[in-house]
Amino acid sequence: QCGHILLSAPIVRLGDQVTASCIINQNCSHLGTEWRIVWKLEPELHPRERQQRLPNGTLQSTITLPHLNHSRVLLSCCLHWGNSLQILDQAELQAGYPPTAPHNLSCLMNLTTNSLICQWEPGPNTHLSTSFTLKSFKSQDKCQTQKDSIPDCVPEDGQRCCSIPRKHLQLYQNMSIWVQARNALGTSISPKLCLAPMDVVKLEPPTLWALEPSPAMAPPQPGCLRLRWETWKPSLYIEQKCELRHQPRLGEAGWDLVSALPARTPQYELCGLLPSTAYTLQMRCTRWRLPGHWSEWSPSLELTTTQR
Amino acid sequence: TPLGRARSLPQSFLLKCLEQVRKIQADGAELQERLCAAHKLCHPEELVLLGHSLGIPQAPLSSCSSQSLQLTSCLNQLHSGLFLYQGLLQALAGISPELAPTLDTLQLDVTDFAYNIWLQMEDLGVAPAVQPTQGTTPTFTSAFQRRAGGVLVASKLQSFLELAYRVLRYLAEP
Repeated sequence: QCGHILLSAPIVRLGDQVTASCIINQNCSHLGTEWRIVWKLEPELHPRERQQRLPNGTLQSTITLPHLNHSRVLLSCCLHWGNSLQILDQAELQAGYPPTAPHNLSCLMNLTTNSLICQWEPGPNTHLSTSFTLKSFKSQDKCQTQKDSIPDCVPEDGQRCCSIPRKHLQLYQNMSIWVQARNALGTSISPKLCLAPMDVVKLEPPTLWALEPSPAMAPPQPGCLRLRWETWKPSLYIEQKCELRHQPRLGEAGWDLVSALPARTPQYELCGLLPSTAYTLQMRCTRWRLPGHWSEWSPSLELTTTQR
Repeated sequence: TPLGRARSLPQSFLLKCLEQVRKIQADGAELQERLCAAHKLCHPEELVLLGHSLGIPQAPLSSCSSQSLQLTSCLNQLHSGLFLYQGLLQALAGISPELAPTLDTLQLDVTDFAYNIWLQMEDLGVAPAVQPTQGTTPTFTSAFQRRAGGVLVASKLQSFLELAYRVLRYLAEP
């Protein structure tokens, strides 16, 4: 190989100085006398250059970029040879920042996938390839001491969330969880969470149904609605409480809320409403007496109150 | 009185235990439904003879009856029983590809529950010095035996959990 590039460092912090040398070997004998080293930089930059003949006869050209302000620069060492430009070697310079600590780490226990799903925010762009890893361990106390390790959770490319499968979880025991960010310039870790997976369970919404009129039941009073609901089947074993919100479908009125409702009821009568008015109703539930997250609001149920 | 010591059990521990029992019961019921649907093995009473030959034990909870509740012994029996069923479920591995996920979830949940009981016993200072080890578990020599074993283990586990639920609810009463 006639010539090769040496870099002071292939990856530096944005704004740092970089030097690159191109060394033309003696064994490049077929060059003859009419040639000189030429650097090509993409994007174009104007480095300081100096050329020197080394004691062993090789010729070295060194360029210095005092403040590298581009995240990627392609360097080509070329020879002006005769009336052609010969590319002898290429190197890519990268510049960026070490990762800042990921933040806003939060986790939810998903009973559909039976996994703990954690998400975070990566922080400002580092301009470099940066990998994120969700790390965790099981603890018998409040996460001061590690009991069992848990395999690292590596998110799919570009994803800011990771899923720890059920087989690595003890649903009712604390685990410490954090995110590590790493690139060529450094490593940083997020603040640590300490949680038991079931205490961050998020349920799917319940299902609302209108109660069909039946001969066995007197018709509802004016300004009342009858409905029933059922919680999400995979969560039947979880003690829950629910809340119902309702608003007239037309007009500007906001939501009214009925809270502390039981998780299941064969029949519920909602009164105190405007007669012969169409209402939109939604419900959500949460694990109760034990910690958990509220589900999303259920799809709407549209019901109309009876006339006066 | 037995309940005096029970007051040392945190309410959150009891609520979690109750939830775990309900979860395991749901897992167990799913396994039973799938065994019935896929292999027409719906009634454990049809497998009593096979159960004897396989040597599938029933875990005792005699110290947990509300008439003669001895809390430490009851917790110990709860843990030992769960530990026994954890081993029995493990022995059923390879039951069938369709049932494997259900069996895995059931085993994970039983293991979690046993572990919580053990931790609570340690917190109370009543945990045995040495963790129990699995005794000899039945050997299932055919696909049929694993499925029939699955029906029997699930059935015995449900009975065990029914008793456990009763005593836990009794202990959780305000």
